[in-house]
Amino acid sequence: MTRLASPRSERWPKNTGSRCSAVTQTEEEVPVELRPMLEYPSVQAWMHGLRQHWGGDPEHDDPERFVIFETFCRRVNRDPDQIVKETTMMKDGQHRIRIKGRNRYAALIQDFQDGVEGSRFAKAKWGNTVRSFLIHNGVLLQSGVQR
Amino acid sequence: MEFKEVVGRRRSIRFFDPDRPVEREKIQKMLEAARLASCAVNAHWARAIVAFRKDLTDDQFNRLKTPVAALNVDLAPVHIHWFNDLSIVNKIKGSRLKELVDVGALAPTHGWSHKFVDEFVYPQILEPMTKNPGYPIPSTFDVGNAVAQALLTGVDEGLGVCLVTLNGEVLKEVFKVPDEWIPLSSILVGYPAESWDGGGQRPRPPFEELYYEGQFGTPFRRDPAVVEELKAAKMIQEPAKPNDPARIAEIRALAEKYGLPM
Repeated sequence: MTRLASPRSERWPKNTGSRCSAVTQTEEEVPVELRPMLEYPSVQAWMHGLRQHWGGDPEHDDPERFVIFETFCRRVNRDPDQIVKETTMMKDGQHRIRIKGRNRYAALIQDFQDGVEGSRFAKAKWGNTVRSFLIHNGVLLQSGVQR
Repeated sequence: MEFKEVVGRRRSIRFFDPDRPVEREKIQKMLEAARLASCAVNAHWARAIVAFRKDLTDDQFNRLKTPVAALNVDLAPVHIHWFNDLSIVNKIKGSRLKELVDVGALAPTHGWSHKFVDEFVYPQILEPMTKNPGYPIPSTFDVGNAVAQALLTGVDEGLGVCLVTLNGEVLKEVFKVPDEWIPLSSILVGYPAESWDGGGQRPRPPFEELYYEGQFGTPFRRDPAVVEELKAAKMIQEPAKPNDPARIAEIRALAEKYGLPM
């Protein structure tokens, strides 16, 4: 298996001042306290989607999946359900995608991915893990080919 | 390839081989087919801008990519962006109708003459039509005819094609098109990275729910013998199956090859 490079999250400044600053942890924010991932309904929805589409046992078939996703959550200082709330909304009784929220997270994910050391596929795995979480929560998100 | 098989093989291909270029002549053939499409009053509203992805600047390319279409745009080596040139009718003022009269496509047997076009058709029908708020609808329908012929010609040339809608305002800015052109759909073109049949013919509503005979509510009777004939001609093909293990394995392999989310 490809050895994944460590993300630079621990070495990143709290606010890079980049395009992701809108939801990047600021000096005033209290670091998010994360419960075990499977306790979040949005993570359960993710697992259900993976199981339904690809089969297998997504809770256990990739030990890095939750590690990567939790790293992202800490990076943006949001828990999984908050991420879904910031990319979706209810309007007229219907579940809608927040376009600005999605664009913001698309940039954040790209930033997260770019910060990973390793091959393009290793980088892609980190970004795509988070994209997969959003996709299976109903947020269509395309990244393009990883070159 | 026989026509019916071309119709049967067309799929919306969403996995293109990004590294296999498309021959320029095949794109020209698609455009040639579009030019020959049926078109009301011979006006020809359809306009296209061909963009070879390798020739796009980074800025152009990045502007075309949206969270919804980034992957498709990225994978397809060629994009054909279609527009409706709403200004054409008042530019040609019926002259192309008179060309049809001259070649006998519109004949006096059906009431047509140059005088009829000059004194009645253009000033009393076509020119007022262009001021009607509903004008874009029928003219866009005709652009759709042209686009459909281009799509099928692409399939006949062994290409994969997919009709998508990108950000129209971005298209207008990036490709510097005239204000009076309405941005419509784009055909993404490339060689399929997935199997040509993409897991099978896509699900469609039942025939009887779509087509009627005599009046609404009386379905057009579907003759099973005709269905069998079309199956033999490869127009009606094996339908895609839900949760097909072979298709899932194919998508998984493509996702790994191109680094896509699952």
